[in-house]
Amino acid sequence: MKIKYAIILVLVLIVVGAGIGLKMFFKPHADISKLDAEYKVEATAIMDEFQKDENAATLKYSEKPIEINGKLVAKNKLPNGTDLLVLENEMEGISCQLDSNWAAANPQVIQALETGSQVTVKGVCKGFLMEIKVSPAVVVSK
Amino acid sequence: MLKKVFILILLVTSVNVFGQGKFIAKNAFISFYSSTPMEDILGECNEAVTILDSENGEIIFQSIMTTFHFKRALMEEHFNENYMESAKFPKAKFKGKIEGFSKDMLKAPAANIKITGQLNVHGVEKTITVPGTLGLEDGKLAATSKFKVTPEEYGIAIPSLVRDKIGKEMEVTVKATYLPFGQ
Repeated sequence: MKIKYAIILVLVLIVVGAGIGLKMFFKPHADISKLDAEYKVEATAIMDEFQKDENAATLKYSEKPIEINGKLVAKNKLPNGTDLLVLENEMEGISCQLDSNWAAANPQVIQALETGSQVTVKGVCKGFLMEIKVSPAVVVSK
Repeated sequence: MLKKVFILILLVTSVNVFGQGKFIAKNAFISFYSSTPMEDILGECNEAVTILDSENGEIIFQSIMTTFHFKRALMEEHFNENYMESAKFPKAKFKGKIEGFSKDMLKAPAANIKITGQLNVHGVEKTITVPGTLGLEDGKLAATSKFKVTPEEYGIAIPSLVRDKIGKEMEVTVKATYLPFGQ
């Protein structure tokens, strides 16, 4: 009888182990719309920070969810369908690629965005490459 | 800032933009692909920046490693943490020159080219020569390239347990559509 219980125990452990393994393997991407922003900043302020000391700013912001408020200067679609919002400066501003799932669920929010107006975006900061890269991002409704 | 935007608009709308200054693409596409018996591994980046100097045919590509996206979150995690060590080596860079470059190439339909330059990935720099195309596509200057790299050459250690699952070579695809950029 004891052996029987031992076998059952081992089988349960295997099933639980495999379950955890599969869950890790199929772990979905983090949903940015549900993450809390670690920093809330004005677009021009974070641009200044990266301009002054790129390394320090990269250490501070890279891979962190941040919320940025700034002027929308361009709204584009990339060849692969990704919506792209550019804040403050078309060449050296902040480039935000919208999360495709969020964009698909909220087309009217994107539609309503007007260049020249203020917009608040929450996304994962990827660092600086001519401009500050933020992806994936979502538009925060006020 | 307004001035720059103005110059950009001026350059974009001007007919005679070719043959002067630089061309830029801020959302160039780079992917790498490896087919494995278990599943295909595909990392895609839409945020590479590239500058093409129309005076001498010099071309630069740069990308932030963490802007490569994968189907599975776990793949992305392994890519950044185990293989590329993105925190230590955040950017990849290629700086090269188009062989036999002439300004006419920028006005002609896409044609085959060869580019030789230094590819810096994972802190290791290698000189490579890759095939590609350059020329007008739908009225815009476009560049493409497809070549293979071996992770080990760039000091990227892949554990033997998964070594067989990841192809020996990775196929890298690059696509960029350029806009003239005022200096």
